[in-house]
Amino acid sequence: METAPGVRIRDLTVVYNTPMGELPAVSGVDLTLTPGTITGVVGESGSGKSTLALSLLNAVQPPGRISGGSVEIDGLGDVVRLRGEELRQARGRKVGYVFQAAQNSLNPLKTIGKQLLDLGRSHDVADPRALVRDAKDLLARMGLDGARVLDSHQHELSGGMRQRVGIMLALVLNAKVVVLDEPTTALDMITQATILRIIREVHEERALTTLVITHDVGAVAEVADALAVMYGGRIVEHGPIADVLGAPAHPYTQGLIRAIPRLSGDISQARALPGRPPTLGTLPAAGCVFRERCALRMEICETVEPAPVTCGGRTVACHAAGHSLAPVKRKEYV
Amino acid sequence: MTRGAAITRRVAGHLARGVVMIWVVATVSFFIIREIPGDPVQGMYESLLQKGMSPQQAERATAVLYGFLPKGTLWDQYVGYMGSLLHGDLGQSLSTPGVQVTHLIGAAASWTVLPVLAGTLLSFLLGVTMGVYAAIRRSGKLGDLLALSGSLLHGIPVYVIGLLLTAIFATLWPILPSGGPVDVDYVPGLNPGYIGSLLYHAVLPVVTYTLASYGGWILAMKSNVVAVLGDDFILAAELRGLKRGIVFRYLARNAILPLFTILALSIGMLFGGSIFIEEIFNYPGLGLLLVNSISSRDYALMGGTFLIITVGIVVANIVADLLYTVIDPRVRSGGTA
Repeated sequence: METAPGVRIRDLTVVYNTPMGELPAVSGVDLTLTPGTITGVVGESGSGKSTLALSLLNAVQPPGRISGGSVEIDGLGDVVRLRGEELRQARGRKVGYVFQAAQNSLNPLKTIGKQLLDLGRSHDVADPRALVRDAKDLLARMGLDGARVLDSHQHELSGGMRQRVGIMLALVLNAKVVVLDEPTTALDMITQATILRIIREVHEERALTTLVITHDVGAVAEVADALAVMYGGRIVEHGPIADVLGAPAHPYTQGLIRAIPRLSGDISQARALPGRPPTLGTLPAAGCVFRERCALRMEICETVEPAPVTCGGRTVACHAAGHSLAPVKRKEYV
Repeated sequence: MTRGAAITRRVAGHLARGVVMIWVVATVSFFIIREIPGDPVQGMYESLLQKGMSPQQAERATAVLYGFLPKGTLWDQYVGYMGSLLHGDLGQSLSTPGVQVTHLIGAAASWTVLPVLAGTLLSFLLGVTMGVYAAIRRSGKLGDLLALSGSLLHGIPVYVIGLLLTAIFATLWPILPSGGPVDVDYVPGLNPGYIGSLLYHAVLPVVTYTLASYGGWILAMKSNVVAVLGDDFILAAELRGLKRGIVFRYLARNAILPLFTILALSIGMLFGGSIFIEEIFNYPGLGLLLVNSISSRDYALMGGTFLIITVGIVVANIVADLLYTVIDPRVRSGGTA
């Protein structure tokens, strides 16, 4: 079996052109997806996570554009440099994308089967029958009657079924890098659990490198190996999921986890994070983007943006957390 | 219920409703003509009596003209009129005595249908294509220019365009005939000279009609395409790496769908002719026939022309509805008609 490709995002900056000038939605993000793992990206609305996901296909929509940095994918090179036909062929074939609101990601006028054949024709698939067979297999793995689904129009399928069709279309060309943008949003709990199980299974079966974007920490905890937390267009914490969720180092991650209500225990133990996430226009020009809502705010946070510090597989960008992480660092190296 | 049975039921329902609508319009126009102050039917009957006809003769002559008896109760007359309608008899023209209304309408229709149909289809194709480009290039100069051409042509009345074109191409730079449907030198029939002359004379009316309705199509198509461009499935198709041509077809098919109703209705409307164009280019079409029938108070002809317009629109509506069951899968499986 071929090995899963690695993905290295380096110093990626994406700006949106607004009446107030070009404002960064993603600023200087570094993120490495280890081959064969599922990386989750969580963050509030407007934290730049969907923009980050679109960058993996160099598909940031106007008025946005990638203004700097690179996205290296093994076997594909720097996606940011790809143009025209090269870029089109990479999309779908090398990088599968499950769309945010996948319920609406299908052409309402064509059957799923015809859209599948359009996909095959676009990527010069030599044997359409094999493609249909693969599609039916995938749909069957996801608990659907492949023949019936391929013969259906979008409006004849439920939300959960459409979501699975979206996943099938992202996987059927055997893309090794798969990006799922909010794959379970707007689905009921049972369907969510099913979709997450399918993602995990197919991921392992096919040796994929997967990126899951979500605002649902619970959903990502089910599937991911690593977790990246985004805030204000930056990755504030990144590491193995058990570490990040079990011992969050960044005050924002800590706040996020405290805000999750537990099934057991007192509901009043859940603490909402005070304040609002920044928008493109309210991002501070200098200093830490999180300081307005931060309990550990220090003088240095006003002027100096905290650089990401890596130790023990965990990366954190916080002046305050740097102190608490320091002992861990010593323990490892002494 | 099977799909076939559902479609049969649907067609039957449409036809029944169409017949009812035509009947309602025929009834209304019968009573309107019958109730016009000064009652033309009664007036004609009386004037024939004054000319020295016997009551029976005058009655028969009037009946021949209007398709119903001037005597008897309104109800009897109505039944008589409906009876002859069922036989396809619209009565005889007043202004051209002795000629069946159906014959006049048929002759005029042959002059109207082809030029107006050609103009409608041409403007539709042109407007829709340009509308797509205007939408895709909406932030550039080309898009601005196309949208401007649409607004401008949409705003200029059809007779101004017609007169302008005549002034340019028939007077200033006389390369096209200024009017008439065909040169009288040619023998009517399927010979190249006659057909060539027909086409030659049709150029200006068709171009006028095309320019006049092009603006509406381009503006409607542009806004539809912009709306579909914002739909998630277009971005999704691009992210799946579909070829540009295929994405374009997804876009165009979804955007053009709502325009088919308007197209079907304009084709239905063409039985009303285009009064301005026929007047300017001296085309003996349905529009001119209707205007002449009104000015010469030819009530039988008027009633017949109204009826043809009604039938045209009703049929176009039915065709549009059935067309949707073919081109829009959401309507097809909508089940209950």
